[in-house]
Amino acid sequence: MNRIVKNQRLVPNLYHLVVEAPEVARSARPGQFVMVIPDEKGERIPLNLADFDKDKGTIELVYLVVGVSTRKLSRLKPGAFLAGVAGPLGHPVEVSGQETVLLVGGCFGPAGLYPVARALKLAGNKVIFLTEAKDRAYVYWEDKIKAVADQYLNLFRRDCFDSGKTLETALNRIKEKNPELSRVLVIGCDYLLHKISSLTAASGIKTGVYLTPIMVDGTGMCGACRVTVSGKTYFACVDGPVFDGHSLDWAEYFARRRAFLPQEQLALSHLENLPVEQKKNE
Amino acid sequence: MSKLERLEPELAQRLIQEREKDWRKALRRDLSVQQRLAIPRHKMPEQPVSQRIKNFLEVNLGYTLELARAEAQRCLDCGQPGCVAGCPVAIDIPTFIKHIEAGELDRALLKIRETNGLPAICGRVCPQEVQCEKNCNLVRAGKEPVAIGHLERFVADYFSRLSDKTSFPATECSAGKKVAVVGSGPAGLTAAADLARLGYHVTVFEALHLPGGVLAYGIPEFRLPRTILNSEINFIKSLGVEIKTNFIVGRTATLEDLKEAGFRAFFLGTGAGLPAFMGVPGENLLGVFSANEYLTRVNLMKSFRFPEYDTPVLAARKVAVIGGGNVAMDAVRTALRLGAREATIYYRRSRAEMPARVEEVKHAEEEGVIFNFLTVPVRFLGDSQGRLRGLLLQKLTLGPPDSSGRPRPVPVPGSEYEVEADLAVVAIGQSPNPLLIKQLPGLKLGRWGNVEVDWENMGTSLPGIFAGGDAVRGGATVILAMGDGRKAARHIDIFLRKC
Repeated sequence: MNRIVKNQRLVPNLYHLVVEAPEVARSARPGQFVMVIPDEKGERIPLNLADFDKDKGTIELVYLVVGVSTRKLSRLKPGAFLAGVAGPLGHPVEVSGQETVLLVGGCFGPAGLYPVARALKLAGNKVIFLTEAKDRAYVYWEDKIKAVADQYLNLFRRDCFDSGKTLETALNRIKEKNPELSRVLVIGCDYLLHKISSLTAASGIKTGVYLTPIMVDGTGMCGACRVTVSGKTYFACVDGPVFDGHSLDWAEYFARRRAFLPQEQLALSHLENLPVEQKKNE
Repeated sequence: MSKLERLEPELAQRLIQEREKDWRKALRRDLSVQQRLAIPRHKMPEQPVSQRIKNFLEVNLGYTLELARAEAQRCLDCGQPGCVAGCPVAIDIPTFIKHIEAGELDRALLKIRETNGLPAICGRVCPQEVQCEKNCNLVRAGKEPVAIGHLERFVADYFSRLSDKTSFPATECSAGKKVAVVGSGPAGLTAAADLARLGYHVTVFEALHLPGGVLAYGIPEFRLPRTILNSEINFIKSLGVEIKTNFIVGRTATLEDLKEAGFRAFFLGTGAGLPAFMGVPGENLLGVFSANEYLTRVNLMKSFRFPEYDTPVLAARKVAVIGGGNVAMDAVRTALRLGAREATIYYRRSRAEMPARVEEVKHAEEEGVIFNFLTVPVRFLGDSQGRLRGLLLQKLTLGPPDSSGRPRPVPVPGSEYEVEADLAVVAIGQSPNPLLIKQLPGLKLGRWGNVEVDWENMGTSLPGIFAGGDAVRGGATVILAMGDGRKAARHIDIFLRKC
């Protein structure tokens, strides 16, 4: 049982959760994730660590309200308890130093990349941070992130339509200004992960994508999260969560993410007490 | 060599002493051997098939007191009991059975608990037919063996819980010393219980949110109801064992961290949590599950009660389960209960080589599971959406024995054929979970990534670190894991007395 310290709406549909998990906070490193169980009957879902504080014994998570589990999470008030938090899991980000790294975050991504940026910057890397959002109303933690990045940019999807300033032009401009750019890391929605990977494929810049497949235990026991990279099967929970975006079997990844879509809809109807659409008789 | 000579001399001596007590002699006089031999084995009452395939309630209903006492009368109380030698934890089986015959159920339970911390579980999931019951002397007389497993289960279920904390007095040396047990499966729970009774402060670290290990995530409720598991776990907690769930040793804290926190010895009971896949094309299609995932969803996450519980499982019409062990039987019977119209086992050897318990196979057959032997999938077939639609299978024949001593399956060229399936479960085994054991420098591992131990004392290559159960054996049985936990506890005690 983990006591909730804070659970607040950050921007539309994104929540910022601070929860007591002293043992996780002590061992957590940037780029790792935790498994969260909202309540006794809940699922185990993976969420990126957005921050951790050894002294306070807390961890921070930013989540998108999308299905049953995240809806349940969003309704918990400070002082309430989560049924469980387990972690930290997955490999921490590789930090070498003397590198120029571009971090691209969309949706819950900037939060997950914040501790990554901090660690890279601390080790003497040049950190460029690109936040992708619908418009300014969806941008969060801008000042906090600027403090751990050498360059910070926002890219609004609205602008893409208005001025043609797309991800592609933004990436090109970053590359022109920083020709030494050697690595890109992306956290966000499937579209963003895939788009950035396809844009950097030609130039061959190493692109790591943080995957969020369906997981059950998160400790390498079940294989629900298996992904194919260069023809080989990996478990995202223990081998990841970051993989080479140029070698991932994207079609399989997208399909597996949607494996339980009909059940997820049913579960939502159940949670919200909505009438379940009856299937027409065969 | 007589059967008693196969036992440790001290144990054999105790068995003889017990047998020579007056009450035992009197019982033996009550009925003649001929009368006892004439009693047929009592069948386990079961839920009717038509009813049980629609629920997850336990199939076996358990003996009544009358049935149990009548079955206990079948035991000849022989001078050379083979059953004890067949039991991995050497329960004094004749004594507990004779206590049942005498109606002294409390004494029967105490006798079992002397060597077995989880009798309600062992009575349900042990493969008695290759252990105690195989060695029952009734078999040599051409009769069915005494139903030792059913009797063990009956005794354990009869009492809510009996305290036997006093049977292992704490020793001065052990007082205050902390021992960490990693994993709360049968090996870890047994080691923890024994160490607690020896007076150690024991903390069990469990990575999942509920304790029990494979008993919680692997074995279905229709074989092991969770109320039974929980009461066994509560009993172990009552001995003073602390269980920390959601604690992944190796991630949440390293073994070094735990050493710094004062733990003086470790038992690794981390299980065989790494599922094996076949490595054939199409294995990542939607609808292809490892047995671990399929069973974890249903058992641990209770997806059979979805959407009341949030974790879903795919319902399917035609289910193919690959494998012939207990896990495969659990998966295929689970599929039936989730509404499959057809559920089939595909096993690469023949019926005789199936490693599953006889009772599980019997139950599966009664419930309508189809068995397809000498068959192996060579490809999983998908539709345009990436969903499983069928399997491409190949026929096999049995060749000369392989390293396991079982006949090696040999493919029959040109024998490929297709079957329809919308769900497949791969239950071909699992190997030790590498999460913790791979990050311990100097820990000697075997060929399959299993922890190597000195079988004399269950010690690993690292001092103060012991291991047992599936982490050492790969996929084995609950009772063997418990035997390991018991032996390790004894040697952890010896190790800690020295320091």
